[in-house]
Amino acid sequence: MKPACRAAAAVALTLVLPALAAAPAAGPVPKIEGVNFSGVWEDPNPQELLPVPGAPPVQRTVIPPAPVNDKAKAEMEARRLAQQQNRPTELTGGAACLPVGFPGMMRPVFPMEVLQTPGQVTIIAEAFSQIRRIYLNEKQIAFEDAEPLFWGHSVGRWEGNTLVVNTIGIKDSIRIDDVPHSDKLQINERITVTSADTFEDQITVIDPEYLTAPRSWTYKYVRRKDYKINEYVCEDNRLYLDPTGQQRLRLGQ
Amino acid sequence: MRKLNRNRRVIIAVLVAIAAIPAAGVALAHHSFAMFDSEHQIKISGEVTKFDWTNPHIYLFVTGGEAGKEAKAWTIEGASPGILNRVGWKFNMIKAGDQVTMVIAPLRTGEPGGLLKEIRLSDGRIFNNGGFAGPSTISLKDEP
Repeated sequence: MKPACRAAAAVALTLVLPALAAAPAAGPVPKIEGVNFSGVWEDPNPQELLPVPGAPPVQRTVIPPAPVNDKAKAEMEARRLAQQQNRPTELTGGAACLPVGFPGMMRPVFPMEVLQTPGQVTIIAEAFSQIRRIYLNEKQIAFEDAEPLFWGHSVGRWEGNTLVVNTIGIKDSIRIDDVPHSDKLQINERITVTSADTFEDQITVIDPEYLTAPRSWTYKYVRRKDYKINEYVCEDNRLYLDPTGQQRLRLGQ
Repeated sequence: MRKLNRNRRVIIAVLVAIAAIPAAGVALAHHSFAMFDSEHQIKISGEVTKFDWTNPHIYLFVTGGEAGKEAKAWTIEGASPGILNRVGWKFNMIKAGDQVTMVIAPLRTGEPGGLLKEIRLSDGRIFNNGGFAGPSTISLKDEP
């Protein structure tokens, strides 16, 4: 190779090499697996939010009573008595502007948004701006490694049109009907996309330490194509408890 | 007569007890509406001094009251912005200085506050307060 050619080749390499080095970052977009159900969803009949004058009341999904064992019954009764005897001094849950947590946030009264990205399904509930992340095709962590959280640790995998999800690690304070749960609580979901504009979530709660059988119910959702999720920050909570433990409203500007 | 009164008291006590039972399952709203008396709604009119478009609830501060009664500074709770946007409200549709008429479920304590059922703005438009608040028992349509 002549010196001029060598110089030209060197210049060319200097120009091309950085481009080659950067190339892997600009590869094809990773694939999103499963069925596409990204978008905004809510209750098929959101009459609780949007009144329809004269319309009959809507039949809601009823969460069946928890098949609690004697240990759960004893704890619930002790808690009830304690609450009766010691007046509450602090607001709890939604009244304290705390998020509902999982599985309560899946109740579709307020709209929710599903986002699908490679390896992950993210569900954002409008109420309290709640976010849960479902990691796809990952092994669930051990119970002893599951830090208790509002929405727990969720892993999922697609089986046809159904996203099968397992969740563990729910905070003790996140309860339905005040039923206690252990750190062996598991919540299984079968999120089935039933059509382009409908899906349902069959939720099953299992807890060998407090329940004698699984507790299961199903929420249904319809797509809201033109709806944009509102932001929701609980910035002006005017509720407080008076010295008798009653909820009161702070008045005045 | 005495017996009737006693029976009536028992019925009221039972109704209050039923109203106090929290809804089973997952909480619907930010808080229970037990503090508001939806059975005895009232109509109040007055001037808006402030309008807070916030979560978990919007608030209207209105100086006025029921016709023929003493004017007070009222604190009126509405639904959340997300709900109200969907029943036609807009964040800036009410301003300090506006005259409004409202149907409210007053606080059981007798303090000047309540839960909004329906509102008529200065321009005559009428808005409800979403589904959770429940229906208004007084119509704002035909009255001044």
